[in-house]
Order: sequence, then structure tokens, then C-alpha cells
Amino acid sequence: MAATDPIPHYQPVAAAIRFENVTVERGGISILDRVSASVPMGSCTAIIGPNGAGKTTLLLALLKEISYQGTIRFNDSDHVPRIGYVPQRLSFDRGMPLTVNEFLSMGFQKKPLWFGITSHLKKLTQDALAQVKAEHLAGRKIGALSGGEMQRVLLALALCQKPDLLILDEPSAGVDFRGELIFCELLDSLRHQNKYTQLMVSHDLATVTHHATHVICLNRKVAAEGPPQQTLTDDTLTAIFGMHMGLVNSSSMPDNRGVCSAPCCQRPPDA
Amino acid sequence: MPDLTPLYALIAQLLPFDCLQARFMQQAMTGLLLLSPMAAAMGIMVVNFRMAFFSDAISHSAFAGVALGLLFSVDPNWTMPAFGLCVGLGIMILQRHSSLSSDTVIGVFFSAMVAFGLAIVSRDRSLARDLQRFLYGDILTISDLQILCLLVLFLVFMTFQVLSYNHLLYIGLNPTLAQAHRVRVAAHQYIFAGLLSLIVMFAVQAVGVLLVTAMLIVPAAAARNVARSAGSMFWWALLVSISSAIIGLIVSAQDWARTATGATIILVACCWFIVSLAVCSLRREQMSA
Repeated sequence: MAATDPIPHYQPVAAAIRFENVTVERGGISILDRVSASVPMGSCTAIIGPNGAGKTTLLLALLKEISYQGTIRFNDSDHVPRIGYVPQRLSFDRGMPLTVNEFLSMGFQKKPLWFGITSHLKKLTQDALAQVKAEHLAGRKIGALSGGEMQRVLLALALCQKPDLLILDEPSAGVDFRGELIFCELLDSLRHQNKYTQLMVSHDLATVTHHATHVICLNRKVAAEGPPQQTLTDDTLTAIFGMHMGLVNSSSMPDNRGVCSAPCCQRPPDA
Repeated sequence: MPDLTPLYALIAQLLPFDCLQARFMQQAMTGLLLLSPMAAAMGIMVVNFRMAFFSDAISHSAFAGVALGLLFSVDPNWTMPAFGLCVGLGIMILQRHSSLSSDTVIGVFFSAMVAFGLAIVSRDRSLARDLQRFLYGDILTISDLQILCLLVLFLVFMTFQVLSYNHLLYIGLNPTLAQAHRVRVAAHQYIFAGLLSLIVMFAVQAVGVLLVTAMLIVPAAAARNVARSAGSMFWWALLVSISSAIIGLIVSAQDWARTATGATIILVACCWFIVSLAVCSLRREQMSA
């Protein structure tokens, strides 16, 4: 019999993404060390870990922005699915005259924007904005949007791609309590509606325990992987964050949904 | 080589000014009418994506390009754009493949180019006089062959703009986002860098190394103040750039002015910029009222 392994291994049936021994080194320093993990098809998977754990690096490897050793396979093939990507923030010149409508159409419209936006695309972008409840932002300049509004526009842009895989980098960063609540619920309902696989990077355990169906705990290596109630144990969290978190009581989480301190859990029952 | 006389005659007819009856003025006007829309369109990308330093570095590599030509007795009019193209693509390759910040990469190229040019020129004092032409620019000596080259560049550039304007905006906002959403980032960046280098080199001949960045940036900056969308910014930049070129050339030829053409063009564009600032602040006052 094999020796008891402190790390719970999880083998989902159908994987949308499979990381196999992914290693990233920069200047002789290892950022990711033989990371092997899976993202189940149709799941909401969260990659959690402290700062410098290599979470964003793993995303960048997935997006083929950096070189890595090992393999990343999609749907158990090499065919890359349609990806919708929501970056953590967009650093751009805020004085730039670019409207939300133009921003959403520029990846799709062949005709240059100086000839205007085609009516077909206008409708498409309007639908995408409606999905994220931001129709009123269509004519605004992107430089004039608040953090939360920008996040929703970025989500609309990702949805316009009709993604099989939606990737979010720190979706709760830079958004206030109420904004986070709305955004979390929006993400949940959109995932049920559009049936894509969602992968997000987060250091916010509250968001994770409430929304994720699958968790990858990362600290340069995979510390644990599986459903939140199995992975977010005191032992794992202490191991990767290096201190007792006291945030999640894994024994109190029912099978289908986690009980957590996320803002969404704090609402009154009648809401 | 095709005869460009009908084109010049058309320009003289469309702009019936006394000073435009001389052939060299018609040639200069043709050159400027081809160059200014390209500078305007490129300027939009340069301003929005803060690439002014990039165009500055390429324009300063003109020295080294000319010096190389003089050194190997090749016509500097050829070595200059060829060398500028190499520098532009070189910067782009290094930017994409090194972990250094783009400012540092460009800074290194910039100083290497200027030092190289100065080193060669300092060996032979007579070369220094030739270089002055590139420091201040001289559109009035543009040849038919150069105009033909500009015409070809214009056609290639406009095709690229029509096909890629939207994708360039996307890449400028965030290359990672564009890449994830299936835009071919590398190809666009290299073509952009190559075309920008060639345009900058032609603009060096028109307005000189010192003012080349202004030719790209001032029309786009003025357009940015007035435009309410990325689409309209393009048209405003075009209007400012072309009108500045026409007014600048005509004013510089007047007896009462007799100023350097390049400098006059940039001054007119700067006047446009001041007007745009006024429009912008007026609009802001109306909004707050």
C-alpha cells in the first residue's frame, strides 16, 4: 500500500484543461515547479495562493504569453478552445477617445472604425453589454469608466468571443464590497446560462469558497486540488499561506455549496 | 520612370497660388500631401500608445544611416530608410524578447545610433555639412524618384491601415488581451514598426530629425482634444496634418515669411493644437454648467 499522501489528489473525468508538469523559470529562479492539475469541463475553477505563488504566471503560460516546459492540453487535445480573457486591469491612456462600443467592436469589425460601427456589431455589443447589465455604458469613453464598470465592460468583451473557456485574473481586485457581490452573482448566472468553463485566479478565499466548484491551491507547486470543501482545509491553507487563515470552516460546508464569509452569503434570506 | 508632370499640374490647378507655379514647389507639395496623411494616421497610434520615444529613436538613427551611406559611398537617400527600417525592427525584436522595459531598450538603441553617426562624421569634417540637411530637413529638394517611393509607401500603408486599424488599437490597449482574443499580435507589431520606421525616415527629409516626432504627434494630439471617438480622431488628425502641410508650405514661400518649410508646418500644426485645447476647455465648461 502506498504511504499516506497528505495532498488530496483529484482526478476529474472530463478536463477542459490539463496542466502536465508545467515548469517556468525566470533568470534561474523557478516560478512554477512541475505543476500538474486539471480544470474540469464546465466547472468554475479557482487558482488560489499567496502573492508570488505563480498564479498569474500559470495563466500567462496558458495564454501562451510566456514560454514553459511541460504540456498544457485542452479537452485532451492540442486544439486551443475559444478563450475569453478578463485581465486584472487594463493600463491605458485614460484620455484616449475610445468609446465602449468601439472597444467592444474593434476585435470583430473588419472595416476600420473611422467608417463607423456596422449595425450588426452594434447589436452584438449591445447584447453583450445587456448580459453584464451595462447597456447604459455603450456611448461612454472607456477612460471615464470606474473600476467596476471597466470590469463589466471587459467581461462583455470576453463574452463577445463566445468563449468555451473564460479566464479571469483576480476578478474581485479593485472593486468595492457591493460591486464584488454583483459581479460574483453575475459570473455565476452567466456560467449557468452560457455553459462555459470558468477559470479564475484569486487570492480572495471568500470569493473562492462561495463560487468555485473546483480549487487548485498553488504555491509554486500544487499544494492541493479538488472541490473546495476537500481542499480548503486548515492544513492546506496553513501550508500554502504559511499561517492559519481561520476563514473557512470546511466541516460546515454542505456538498453542493460552501458556507463562507463572501459578501453574497451575508445577504438576508429573503433577498 | 513614369512622368509625374500631370500630377504636378493638377496640384497647381487645385491650389492656384503664385508660389506653387514653380516645379520644385509642386514636387514639395506632392511629397507633403503623401506624407502628411501617413504621419497623421501613424501619429494616432504613437500618441495613444505612448510610442513617441520609439519614433524619436528611429529619427535619430537617420544620422547613422546617412553616415553609413557616406562611408561606403552609397546614396544616403537609400541607406537612411534602409537603416531606419533595421533599427525599427531591431527595437521591436528586442522589446518582444527581452525582459527589459521598452524605454530602456529604445534608450540603448537611441544612444548607440547617435554615437555611431557622430563617430563616423567626426572622422571627416566635410561630412558635417551634409548632415545639416537632415537635422533641419529639406522638402524643397525632393526628387521625382523619392515621390514615387512615397507613392508606393502610401498605397502599402493605407492598405495596412484599412485592414489593421482596429486590431492595432486592440494591441495598443493590451497585447495579452488581444492575443488571447485571437489577434495576430506579432505580425501586426512588426509591420507597424517597419512602416513607422519608413514614414519617420521620409519625414526626416521633410522636417528634419529635430521636428519629426512633432509631425507625428501634434496632429494626433490636437485630434485627441476634439474627438469623441477613435473613429473621429482619425479624421481630425488627417484634417490637421494635411491643412498644416499645405498652409505651412505656402506660408514659408511668402516673401514676408521666408522661413524653413518644416518648421513652418509644425508651427501651423501647433496653432491647431492650441485651438483644440480651447475647444476642449470650452466643452468642459459647458458640461459642468
